Amino acid sequence: MGLTISSVLTRLFGKKQMRILMVGLDSAGKTTILYKLKLGEIVTTIPTIGFNVETVEYKNICFTVWDVGGQNKIRPLWRHYFQNTQGLIFVVDSSDRERMDEAAKELQYMMQEDELRDAVVLIFANKQDLPNAMTTSELTDKLGLNQIRNNNWYIQATCATQGNGLYEGLDWLSNELAK
Amino acid sequence: MPLAAATSLANPQPKNHTRTKQTSIGRKKFNMDPKKGIEYLLEHGLLQATADDVAAFLYKGEGLNKTAIGDYLGERSDFNEKVLRAFVDLHDFTDLILVQALRQFLWSFRLPGEAQKIDRMMECFAQRYCQLNPNIFTNTDTCYVLSFAIIMLNTSLHNPSVKDKPTVEQFISMNRGINNGGDLPRELLESLYESIKTEPFKIPEDDGNDLMHTFFNPDKEGWLWKQGGRYKSWKRRWFILNDNCLYYFEYTTDKEPRGIIPLENIEVREAADRHTSKPHCFELYAAAGTDFIKACKTDSEGKVVEGKHTVYRMSAATSEEKDEWIKCLRQSISHNPFYDMLAARKKKAQKTNAHHHHHHHSQHHNARS
Repeated sequence: MGLTISSVLTRLFGKKQMRILMVGLDSAGKTTILYKLKLGEIVTTIPTIGFNVETVEYKNICFTVWDVGGQNKIRPLWRHYFQNTQGLIFVVDSSDRERMDEAAKELQYMMQEDELRDAVVLIFANKQDLPNAMTTSELTDKLGLNQIRNNNWYIQATCATQGNGLYEGLDWLSNELAK
Repeated sequence: MPLAAATSLANPQPKNHTRTKQTSIGRKKFNMDPKKGIEYLLEHGLLQATADDVAAFLYKGEGLNKTAIGDYLGERSDFNEKVLRAFVDLHDFTDLILVQALRQFLWSFRLPGEAQKIDRMMECFAQRYCQLNPNIFTNTDTCYVLSFAIIMLNTSLHNPSVKDKPTVEQFISMNRGINNGGDLPRELLESLYESIKTEPFKIPEDDGNDLMHTFFNPDKEGWLWKQGGRYKSWKRRWFILNDNCLYYFEYTTDKEPRGIIPLENIEVREAADRHTSKPHCFELYAAAGTDFIKACKTDSEGKVVEGKHTVYRMSAATSEEKDEWIKCLRQSISHNPFYDMLAARKKKAQKTNAHHHHHHHSQHHNARS
């Protein structure tokens, strides 16, 4: 009773769900990215104590993006979450040359997680507007992206404060998911 | 002491009053930008530059916004991390079960949403908890990882963005091996899950409305008649002058003002009674170089809109009242040199124009002056 054709179709095919973990060092721009992606949607969020999590609907895919991270000691907790994770967004401050090694190490840790072996990896080379920002090819080298063996990856230049590059990144993620 | 007496005579405002004022400005700055607020309080000697002193100020939290406190405590810098530690040490968690201690802790500031910040905060929290309750966990790290897991659970169960809500079994399996490689008792995890599921962490309330503190200790307050901007009708309003702002209310008991006029780049003058229908009038008008007065008010539908006044005209009950208001307003008006620069530039541009078009006239004028 009262079922419309579109609701039947949604039932049959559903909206694709994609769980995304977002990692990166402090002040790489994760929070800005999360809220920039959310912009323009009707937000009726009930405030909740806890981690930044947002759902973004784009190209008929529902992305749920979690801000994760923290020290090695809490990694066992994330393993549980990694199991159903199709995508990883790694955010790096392209202008922070001092902490680039630290960022590379963080990414390598992630890539060693067994539960993430099938996840696709999107790298946001953020803060491209800053004068000292490294280019994506420099970052590919510095982050050792060519050493990633198991995962499909893509690096996208972004300026989160302006919103530049963010949806191009989501385009890549949704194409990967459609494969 | 004669010297002290002389100083206090020379300075009509007692020192305590100035300090109260500056503290209130510092609090307001803190709520807008925590780092700048603390800097201001340090500069004015209202806080000592020690982690303990800053932590005590945040813990007391008088007039402070809890989100701002959380932002300050979450900042990744040596000093802020020291303040965080000192702040956590001011809490007493003795004989509280873990989840109750967390509830108490998370009421004292608004937990930021960034994982790294939550991580640092939970680590400090666990150290303090284990110090006060040494027989509960075999090591501090277990308490820290479990506390982090509880925040994850609260997020998963109560954030509407998370669609697949974890079951108690999932919560238990997520915490496998966090107790030095072993597991925590199942009953403990079950009771934690139940507690969070039935009662999410509360969003901490701020210590009073920020504006309340503004209105508490005003430079001057009283009834005045105010003339409307578009319709020249007169309305009786309750005015409060404080911190370079003039606020007006419909009733003295209103919590939210009807309008706010920042006393920046405006001037005050007496208005001749013969020009107005009411006696004892004075006016606020835009200083040279500015076109209209920057202000805002709440319209009839409750929306905040920009004011459109070039002049605000007010009428006081007596001539003395009028003089008193003019005096107090003059003291409060601050001047932004940027506008002077702008005005000078505008004048210069006009002069150059005039020079081109009325060469002779302009020269004549210059010679006279």
